[in-house]
Amino acid sequence: MTELLKVSKLCIGLKPQTFPIVKNVSFALREGTSLAVVGESGSGKTITCKSIMQLLNPKTFQVSGSIRYRKTELLTMDEKGIRALCGSKIAMIVQNPMTAFDPTVKIGAQIVETLMAHQRISKRDAYASGILALQKMNLPRCEQLMDSYPYTLSGGMLQRIIIALSLIHEPDIIIADEATTSLDVKNQNMVLDELEKMKRNGIALLLVTHDFGVAAKLADNVIVMREGKIIERGTVYDIFESPREAYTKELLKASILKRGNCID
Amino acid sequence: MFRYIRKRLTNLIVVLFGVTVLSFLLSNISPVDPAEAYARRILKSPAPQKIEEIRLKMGLDLPLYQQYINWIGRCLRGDLGSSLLTKNPVNYDIAQKLPATMQLVAIALFWILISFIPIGIISAVRKNSLFDHLIKGVAILGISIPSFWLGFLFLFIFAVTFPVFKVIDYGNIKSLILPSLVLAIPTASSFVRLFRATVLSNLNKDYVVYAKARGISSNRIVWGHVLKNSLPPIVTLFFQHLGYMLAGSAVVESVFSLKGIGLHLLNAVTARDLPTINGCVLVIAIIFVLCSILADVINMVLNPRITDKEEGLYE
Repeated sequence: MTELLKVSKLCIGLKPQTFPIVKNVSFALREGTSLAVVGESGSGKTITCKSIMQLLNPKTFQVSGSIRYRKTELLTMDEKGIRALCGSKIAMIVQNPMTAFDPTVKIGAQIVETLMAHQRISKRDAYASGILALQKMNLPRCEQLMDSYPYTLSGGMLQRIIIALSLIHEPDIIIADEATTSLDVKNQNMVLDELEKMKRNGIALLLVTHDFGVAAKLADNVIVMREGKIIERGTVYDIFESPREAYTKELLKASILKRGNCID
Repeated sequence: MFRYIRKRLTNLIVVLFGVTVLSFLLSNISPVDPAEAYARRILKSPAPQKIEEIRLKMGLDLPLYQQYINWIGRCLRGDLGSSLLTKNPVNYDIAQKLPATMQLVAIALFWILISFIPIGIISAVRKNSLFDHLIKGVAILGISIPSFWLGFLFLFIFAVTFPVFKVIDYGNIKSLILPSLVLAIPTASSFVRLFRATVLSNLNKDYVVYAKARGISSNRIVWGHVLKNSLPPIVTLFFQHLGYMLAGSAVVESVFSLKGIGLHLLNAVTARDLPTINGCVLVIAIIFVLCSILADVINMVLNPRITDKEEGLYE
């Protein structure tokens, strides 16, 4: 299995004093596998993910180390190159679907825009494939959805649209940053099912979560982060059966208390 | 949307009622007696009986509410009375003076429009760059310089030192370039500052991050999404300033010797020409309120969420 994504010695600091937020983080994501980055709020997991797509403001954050997608270094890539990768080869599912779309532009236009950013396609064709992508997600009344403004839709609906958008260019890697956090239980399960389907279809998943339940359901490997450092790593069985760090045990306990049915 | 516009038009009537009552009251409680002022204007030293005669003729002996009802009744029939100063009907005077000011304000608004959007956006995108710092300085200067001084400065530079324009010039667009710039600069400066701040706050929104993650180019994000989201507050302000400029063009008009409504109103105030004052205030108030309705309609097109909120479809 080839390594799709290799992060090595990633350090992220807050400018101007380069106050360290992420310290010496290294991990790899292989084809068709999934990796969960687990940790409490403020442990640096979201920042780590954002740095992969160069979503951090370079004026605020100092990023060093190396992030490779296949053979290409992403950290030093120019804006044009990284945008070509984002949304096509590497796609993202965001934490808060309610605020992810421009509130003043209809869903359809935003889907068309995404398609046209990555391929030579006419507006009409893009619109048609947008509808198709939504239909694949089992969304109801897709034509009407395309003509809706984001604020008229529910969070679960929007998250499904985001998932549809993430799959639209058949990516190698999907980064799911707390993709279930802001949703209700029904929609959480829907998102988890979709992520599982993606995994079965051979897409590598990078899951960022504070919820061990999500990790247990989807991940092959787990890394546990705390205060910007990786404090424990292993296969999902290692971590669940025999966690070494006290912090990991604590997180596990909290998670099991919350949703005991998830570890099976 | 149409329901909303209808609602606003109903509001217009209420606002205009308030404006007319206020301006009527204020001009009536002022210490100068209009009958006496009028009498002194037509006769050198009027006898007290003569003044009383005029007062009766002008209907100034009636109770205040009766005077107001008479006046508003005539207004509704399109008769704003006659100017004490020029003896022309007030309508006629306003129709003579308003177009010049409208033209002036329109050109000024054009300057504002083409300057603040690109400058504000570039300033925000390149925050803390040399350009940004320069613009910040220039904007503060633009806000704080009094417009009469700026007007004389422009005349001195562009009409005296380098005679590109004439000091006194009427009737062509060229003659309006300098005055419109003077009128535009303070407003444009404050717009640049506000717009830069709005764009900056929008650049940090979630939708910008997700658009990047979808692979949308920075240019498209800024000029498509961020611009559209940053406009509503400035649109409201823009149309408000249109009203301010119409009403407050007097300074610029007097510096550049333009015969517009601002100067006309100023002259009426100094001459205690009540019919003209009330007429001008009424016309400016109507324009003001219409502008604010226009601003709301444009904002609804920019951000449909506002419409739905107003109509109670969305909460």
